[in-house]
Amino acid sequence: MRGVRPVADETGMALVETLLIAIVLIVPVMAALGVLSDLHRGALAASAAAREAGFEAARSGSAEQANLAVDAAVQVAFFDHGIDARSANVRWTGAPGLPRGGVIEVEVAYPVEVLQLPFVGSMSEPRVWVNARHVARIDPYMSRE
Amino acid sequence: MLSEPERGSAPLETVFAIAFLLLLVLGAIEVVWALYGRNVLISSAHEGARAALELGRSSSDAVTIATRSIEQSAGALVDELDVGVSTETVGGRSLVRVEVSGVLTPRGPVPMPIPVRTAATVSRSATPDGR
Repeated sequence: MRGVRPVADETGMALVETLLIAIVLIVPVMAALGVLSDLHRGALAASAAAREAGFEAARSGSAEQANLAVDAAVQVAFFDHGIDARSANVRWTGAPGLPRGGVIEVEVAYPVEVLQLPFVGSMSEPRVWVNARHVARIDPYMSRE
Repeated sequence: MLSEPERGSAPLETVFAIAFLLLLVLGAIEVVWALYGRNVLISSAHEGARAALELGRSSSDAVTIATRSIEQSAGALVDELDVGVSTETVGGRSLVRVEVSGVLTPRGPVPMPIPVRTAATVSRSATPDGR
């Protein structure tokens, strides 16, 4: 037979080789599952933070109070989900003076680090940004001091 | 030169290999269920606390809503579910804290009960009557 050379002296066990390959494959799979879980948790935390922040901002008497209330609400919501809120981006908009009957829109974005290595932690890049948006209406009959 | 005859049964080894791979895949799915259940517990605690904070609602509403949320989203994954609510007024703000605990029992090849305890706190300005 030309071009085909019999292989000599090969030994091994298919089972052992399969197990080795399986273990090598399972590590990235487990890492990917961890990232998916973080994405899920980040989405829940971001939506809760946006909702809480909108709720608080809509009950604030001024833009300064709303700023403080939004920051506090976002921090608590992320903390409850076991996430550090410092990496989250929060933005809220509302009509000047926060008039009664107006709306306040809150957007929260949270980055989930995709590359997370065991015993090393997460890398700064690449990231997947999870966004949440909530629109709250200011009570038209709200009393203010 | 031809190789020496190798001893072993290819079908038998294949069966073992497939069984092991299946165990790994099902185990991975089990881990996913556990992570999902944990996230649901955390989020449900927040839902309950948010609900209890609305005017006209009480602590029992928090328990009802958190429990319902967990049962609808991950009822088959959580055993020994316990929802506790505490309310207090601090510095002119009403605080509602919902604590949820349970044992995650994700379905899979390896029995893996995971105790989970989580809490959520929300607040708002207290009403004049202190609620």
